[in-house]
Amino acid sequence: MRIENHPILGEPEDAREVFFTFDGKQIKGREGEPIAAALRANGVLTHRYTKKLGLPRGVFCAIGRCTDCVMVVNGRPNVRTCVTPLAEGTAVETQYGAAARRGEAGK
Amino acid sequence: MKRYDLIVAGAGPAGLSAAAEAAKCGMRVAVFDENAKPGGQLFKQIHKFFGSKAHKAKIRGFNIGSELLAEAERLGVEVFLNAPVLGLYDGREILVRIGDETRHYKGDSIIVATGASENMLAFPGWTLPGVMGAGAAQTMMNINRVRPGSRVLMLGSGNVGLVVGFQLLQAGCEVVAVADAAPRVGGYGVHAAKLARCGVPFYLSHTIVRAEGSDCVTGVTIGEVDSGWSVIPGTEKHFDADTICIAVGLSSATGLLKTAGCEMEDKGPFGRLPVCDEYGQTSITGIYACGDVSGIEEASSAMIEGRISGAAAANYLGFLPDAALKARAGELEQALEALREGMFAPKNRGKIPDKTDEGFDVSMSLLTRGYLDDAEVAGYPGVRSAAGTHPVIECTQNIPCNPCQDACPKGCITVGENIVALPQIDAGAECIGCGLCVASCSGQAIFLVNEDIGGGLASVTIPYEFLPAPKPGDTGVCLGRDGKPVCPGEVLEFKSPPAFDKTGLLTVAVPQAFCGRARFWKREA
Amino acid sequence: MTERKLLSDLVPQPDDDMVVCRCEEITKGEIRRAVHDGMFNIHEARRFLRCGMGLCQGQTCGRLVKAIIARELGISQSELDDATGRAPMRPTEMRIIASEVFGE
Repeated sequence: MRIENHPILGEPEDAREVFFTFDGKQIKGREGEPIAAALRANGVLTHRYTKKLGLPRGVFCAIGRCTDCVMVVNGRPNVRTCVTPLAEGTAVETQYGAAARRGEAGK
Repeated sequence: MKRYDLIVAGAGPAGLSAAAEAAKCGMRVAVFDENAKPGGQLFKQIHKFFGSKAHKAKIRGFNIGSELLAEAERLGVEVFLNAPVLGLYDGREILVRIGDETRHYKGDSIIVATGASENMLAFPGWTLPGVMGAGAAQTMMNINRVRPGSRVLMLGSGNVGLVVGFQLLQAGCEVVAVADAAPRVGGYGVHAAKLARCGVPFYLSHTIVRAEGSDCVTGVTIGEVDSGWSVIPGTEKHFDADTICIAVGLSSATGLLKTAGCEMEDKGPFGRLPVCDEYGQTSITGIYACGDVSGIEEASSAMIEGRISGAAAANYLGFLPDAALKARAGELEQALEALREGMFAPKNRGKIPDKTDEGFDVSMSLLTRGYLDDAEVAGYPGVRSAAGTHPVIECTQNIPCNPCQDACPKGCITVGENIVALPQIDAGAECIGCGLCVASCSGQAIFLVNEDIGGGLASVTIPYEFLPAPKPGDTGVCLGRDGKPVCPGEVLEFKSPPAFDKTGLLTVAVPQAFCGRARFWKREA
Repeated sequence: MTERKLLSDLVPQPDDDMVVCRCEEITKGEIRRAVHDGMFNIHEARRFLRCGMGLCQGQTCGRLVKAIIARELGISQSELDDATGRAPMRPTEMRIIASEVFGE
């Protein structure tokens, strides 16, 4: 899903490739890009399941306003992945409900 | 508590312009923004802006953003990023989150330029991953360089929907349709025409019935609405799609002004907006609002409003004498007024004019299908038949824009003093086929046509902003204004010099009979 | 304060189970029900249902909720207030609010 060449923007700026984990699985992204972008590039659309209805959510506003894309990042829940930069080794997990671990304050 | 002459909340086009203008007057200025990068939404605007030279017309949004940022830096403006302003209190004090702390700052004047947020539309399935704001799609593809999806349905035919729709095509996505519950295309006709000629169908008077899928969007159903906005049974249409973009307008992000206690007033369809004087000063002395937060308009207007408020804040604190403010604000207001004319002016919102200022009929085909009907094109002043290469300007609505006039080195094109006028072609002036007008047209509505290049062929030059770049000899099919194939087309030339700023000029040879209809080119699959 | 008046009976609508407030997962039906239970403006609906009180603080659903309340009351949206603007404007953890720095 990455846009390697663009008619107006040209080639993307050079960025170091980094490894990070999504639900324990190691995948690749570009250093400094929003976590949400790295996930989209890896085909991940579902960031969390809601607390009441247990329904999937993903990127909705992409500018940090709507908070729909929150996930558990490095153990912290409710992190807006669309505005949080990716670093080597970032641990990203699907969030269930509102808490860091399943069963706490949520599903 | 750290104190500044001016504190600006929001480093978008309005906020940066305000900061630069104030700093120019000698003020010590700090700008706070919640994002990691400055520029607000300017850096995802990759299209050429409308207006005149005074409004930075024909320059792409992200380049305007870079210029503005460089100016603010040069003038010593301090820009704090990742620093959301959490509150605005009595005595012009702000609370900002910086890192893991909250900090207080005092501004002897405050400019709130917090912009807008996207309106949303609730429909069954709208919480599924794959449904997103049009702005979100734009951020994903133009900033993050990742496609938001592969097959996209755009909900909303205002300028945001149309511009983002075209950018989705440029990013390599397929746009399955543009749907709008309104009976008419809401944005500029030229933006709609760019999409339509690429083959994107328009469904006006159609709303979304539901997004389909269980884990993510796999399809979408739209249906035609009756006069009460209810879907007429039997009119439902299904599309396979993995992404649904919502572009149903913006709302001013007035939260900070409200915490400060600024007086608000109801402006009908524009929502509840701050009461401001001509300089953007709110009901609280020394607090100003400019850009989208004081009423939704284009980024071009926001930048001018920002400068007016910046100058006014400078005057308030004695950095700019009264006479100088009057002169500066006068010149800025003139530029602002020029943008607020024409069919799409804020004052004309909701009206559907059926004639241009010049008395030409507005194309109903353009308003309901997104493209000019072949039969009606010849009626507009920019469309002429002539010997040799000549421009054909399919600009049929009064929008504030005139770069085509300045672009032509031979003076073939006239818009005149009033920049919303339709461009006219001087039949006496000689066209040298340079193509500068084609590249300068932000609406991509200018074509060069040579009706007879010999051998029963004609040539048509099309603005082309797609990859891969065509090469002479490439064969393909020419599409009409409606996006349907009209004839074969062989590439004669493709030019994209730096002066054209990425708008390539693609010249194709077509059978003579089709030179008035071929308006896009697609490589043979 | 909106004048209390008698509303006609609450008639179920096919999309009553549609989520309107995405953060707190409040449905259109719940908001309509609340209006009939006497929540005649956005402030009351927020306190009663928590719609617009989640992480995004009503940035997404504010207008939608207002439209539903207005339609249910049979009044124009301009007759209804927006939600009150309050600090913090963005979701902020309590520990950060507590780490308040004055002076430099």
